[in-house]
Amino acid sequence: MLRNYLPVLLLLGFVILNAVLILGIAHWTVRAQPTAVKLQPYESGMVPLGDARDRFSVKFYLVAMLFIVFDIETVLMIPWSVYYRQLSCAVPMVNNVCPTGQLSFFGLGEMLVFMLILVIGFVYVWKKGALTWD
Amino acid sequence: MPTNDARLVTVDPAAQDGWVATRLDFLVNWARAGSLWPMPFGTACCAIEFMATAASRFDLARFGMERLSYSPRQADVLICAGRVPLKLAPVLRRIYQQMPQPKWVISMGACASTGGMFDNYAVVQGIDTIIPVDVYVPGCPPRPEALIHGIIMLQKKVMQERLKDRELHVEMEPDPTSQLYIPPSRIDELSEPFGNSVHQTRSAP
Amino acid sequence: MTAPSDATALAPILSAAVAEDSNGSPITPGLIAHRGGPVNGTADTLAVQFGEAVLRTEVVWGETTVYLRADMLHAAVRWLHDTPSERYDYLVDITAVEYRDADRPLEVVWHLRALQRRRFLRLKVELVKRQPLVVDSIIDIYSGADWLERECYDMFGIRFDGHPDLRRILMWDTYREGFPLRKDFPLRGRFSRAEQLKQALAADPEARYSVNELSIAEAFDSLPEDMKRRIAARDETARDNAAAEFDA
Repeated sequence: MLRNYLPVLLLLGFVILNAVLILGIAHWTVRAQPTAVKLQPYESGMVPLGDARDRFSVKFYLVAMLFIVFDIETVLMIPWSVYYRQLSCAVPMVNNVCPTGQLSFFGLGEMLVFMLILVIGFVYVWKKGALTWD
Repeated sequence: MPTNDARLVTVDPAAQDGWVATRLDFLVNWARAGSLWPMPFGTACCAIEFMATAASRFDLARFGMERLSYSPRQADVLICAGRVPLKLAPVLRRIYQQMPQPKWVISMGACASTGGMFDNYAVVQGIDTIIPVDVYVPGCPPRPEALIHGIIMLQKKVMQERLKDRELHVEMEPDPTSQLYIPPSRIDELSEPFGNSVHQTRSAP
Repeated sequence: MTAPSDATALAPILSAAVAEDSNGSPITPGLIAHRGGPVNGTADTLAVQFGEAVLRTEVVWGETTVYLRADMLHAAVRWLHDTPSERYDYLVDITAVEYRDADRPLEVVWHLRALQRRRFLRLKVELVKRQPLVVDSIIDIYSGADWLERECYDMFGIRFDGHPDLRRILMWDTYREGFPLRKDFPLRGRFSRAEQLKQALAADPEARYSVNELSIAEAFDSLPEDMKRRIAARDETARDNAAAEFDA
């Protein structure tokens, strides 16, 4: 059983060896010759002015946050869709077939409730103007 | 006749590079020559010809110059294509200084090599007065075949380098007061007019 | 840009500006005479308006040139820009001409176009060479005059009174060899090549930033304190130096 994971160990070993080789060869063969000008940030040949640490607009963060929330919703829909046939059967399935007359709306209803909660949130976000870029 | 002239190089025939050293040299040089990533410092018409050389008909990618880099940090060769005004001189110098070793310079076209037809108050008379140049490609503009010939010449130069040569790929420090790499008399000598332009020094009475 | 009430005033002028074919598109005139072509009507109205400030009018290759006296230039350009019947709303270029003959004065040239009326006018002011080369700046009328006047200053040494930031634009700020397009300036410059390179390499890249430009770009506030002080101080000294250089 453990033998199945031998390739993973080999891969891990190879990755570590690769990283060590790359960094090691670079470290021991390079003749670094730093000069003052070389170490300065590149600004198309001009002397760099000021600090590169600018303030970011908060709208990027907002978009990322909204994406996460609705992405999680999508992710949670995936296991539901895998078990949808079982969920839409009122009784345990027999031979992977739902007995006739036993179809129920349970699976669909659950997901609709879940999505309704999130749609309310979506409408709130929309009306608050968080979806407009400017 | 044994002399103490320091310019003479003494070669000891018994001393040779070992087998490993030569193989390593070959490997390193082959890798470097085959993947010279250019930084196109294109200012004028030669830049158009450089673009033509990089395009599909005369493809530069087959010489390893696949990836043009507009940042000096990731470039091996600075290809100066076009005339360099005096106002742009410190910019070119700074970009050259910001390239990591090993680095080479190709001066493409007449204007980058000697100032070209612009022997006037505003144009640098050859970028070799500001930065060290490895290959000069003449032409106005040079045909793509000429530029490729220059690149192959640079590749041959790279193949002849040896790792144990400590003089190669050393950062040159310019003279701190004047910021010049070569003495002023040499710069004047390099920038002297010749041919018809000698007759253009007269100014109005 | 024309107000509706001006339309009727403009209509007769518009139709008279240039010959039109049946579609109403202008016909490019051919066979233009070297001298003696039709005069732009503005020349006459200028003469009426400004009297003796208009020295003479010439028509060369169909283009009208009006020579003005230097002191009336600003008023004339303001009048040309604002008057509804003239409305020269586009400043094409400001440049200068120095002739080979040493006794001919320097001419400063303004090219104006009235886009709606399809007219072209050239204004010239003659400046005697031994006198201070000063004309009025028209930056308050055309904001495009900003860099055009800077170029004229850089190449000829002509100062523009009223320009907020008159400094070199094509050569670097601390260029000391003189004014390149003057006839007494040698083609290769006055210094040796090594000296030119030395000065070019020493040119301060921060010098191209004036307080004006940085404030407009909203970048001034984010600079380090000492740099702000340096730039503000440099503006003072640059203005003093420029004035001193001019007086010498």
